[in-house]
Amino acid sequence: MVATTPETAAASAAVRQKARRQRDEELLVWPDLVFVEFIAAMVFLLAITALSITIDAPLLDRANPAVTPNPSKAPWYFLNLQELLLHMDPALAGVVVPTVALVALGAIPYYDRSNEGQGEWLSTPNAWRLTWIGSAVGSIGSILLVLFDEQIHVRLFTGLTGSAWPSSLNWIRNARSIQNDLPWPEWMRSIPLGNVLRTDLLGLPKLDLALNIPELFVSQIIPVSLMIGLPIILSIVLWKTGEAKTRRDHMIAQFSGFIAVYIVLTIIGTAFRGQGMELLPPWEVKMPIS
Amino acid sequence: MATTERPEPRGLGDRLYDALFHNYVWRSIFRSGYPNTPRNQMLVVATNVFLHLHPTRIHRTHVKITHTYCLGGLSFFLFLGLTITGVLLMFYYVPSVERAYEDILHLHTDVRFGFLMRNMHRWMAHGMVIMVLMHMMRVFYTGAYKPPREFNWVVGVVLLVLTLLLSFTGYLLPWDQLAFWAITVGTNMVGSAPILGPPNKFVMIGGFEVGAGALIRFYTLHVIALPLLAATFMAVHFWRIRRDGGLARPL
Repeated sequence: MVATTPETAAASAAVRQKARRQRDEELLVWPDLVFVEFIAAMVFLLAITALSITIDAPLLDRANPAVTPNPSKAPWYFLNLQELLLHMDPALAGVVVPTVALVALGAIPYYDRSNEGQGEWLSTPNAWRLTWIGSAVGSIGSILLVLFDEQIHVRLFTGLTGSAWPSSLNWIRNARSIQNDLPWPEWMRSIPLGNVLRTDLLGLPKLDLALNIPELFVSQIIPVSLMIGLPIILSIVLWKTGEAKTRRDHMIAQFSGFIAVYIVLTIIGTAFRGQGMELLPPWEVKMPIS
Repeated sequence: MATTERPEPRGLGDRLYDALFHNYVWRSIFRSGYPNTPRNQMLVVATNVFLHLHPTRIHRTHVKITHTYCLGGLSFFLFLGLTITGVLLMFYYVPSVERAYEDILHLHTDVRFGFLMRNMHRWMAHGMVIMVLMHMMRVFYTGAYKPPREFNWVVGVVLLVLTLLLSFTGYLLPWDQLAFWAITVGTNMVGSAPILGPPNKFVMIGGFEVGAGALIRFYTLHVIALPLLAATFMAVHFWRIRRDGGLARPL
């Protein structure tokens, strides 16, 4: 038996008091939570049933490998990647970007290890502002980049001044024109590397690589620098202006930017890409009937 | 103080109720009484295998709909709904190039409520992708990935990938132009990777082009491999929520 002093008695009373107060804040899962879950499930079941009765799932003609619909589109949640495909190297858009994005997403808690802002919606002082800034930068940035590749500045220039785009500036009509309209020395377009990767050692077919520097520059170096550089610039600006002070702040801005880019590119890929994946207003985009 | 309780004279209703719900068989199935007292309410959650995913008590703020919007729970609900409608669809669907498209047509013309099954499956699949993405945003903006929940966020990212793969593999099964070319576009993205791309694509679609090999592979992945994998990761996901102390709360 431990002798009870007034101090320990007071301390244990305080602990009991705290425990009791915590208990008072708690509800029983049955009925309070189970009821909410049941209602949510029922509302969704009814909504989905109603939707399924009114709108039929799409079904086109029987698959025909000989007839390629124009445009051919991936499922909507991959249309952001298909949109990237129009602006950069296919391996980059189709494999590297999604892999890096998923790994970065999974790494968030290992980078932002603090406990601040836990368990409440956007509870750090700057959280809402940073969400808006991140989303605005992400969405406006990706729209501007898509429009640049679509030569919108050229169209605006000819529309406003009535004269043609100066040929000396041809190389900034879009990303691809950097490759085609700059006077790259001819040897840069094909530098034979042979089988440097030694794929034959892995039992794979021999790969004779040729380095095309202008092509590499346009389809790899520019997109990679933009995709890595712009988020870094965003974070540096937020840091220098004092908007983002902690890792949580930076993560909020970056994550919001990522979600904004994902949503914007998905919408552009779904609603704004018509035949030949040309950028069109949504009302001119028609599903191919083949 | 101590008085002997004497049973009141009991009416027909009470005796009927006893016969139905207090008999040997009923009590062998449901170990706790009707959950109308706090004791029974906690017992029913603690002893029922489905309900015991929950703790018996939960903090007041976590029941508020605006805290979670039920997004994770609804993702799981959609997964269950997809499993049920999916099993029903399997009765009518043969994953062969000759039959697949006709089987889907028959769902709309020959099978009673076939259209409902297919439509529900389709819309719930889209819904699940949206729900999972929104659930991820909820968890991020409430800071619920913070210690000690880091690893459960990673499990969540895996579940997001599995959800996308489930939806993607299901996309091919109707074997119409939409399905065929969407999968062609999607798998070409994989095939475009240097060196490992083409062999990976070959393994994925069982050939150089989307055809019979791709259909049976996607079907098998869609109806058994990926659902089992997803269910396993979900079990880990739910388990970790409980182990890591329930939903995140401000410190």
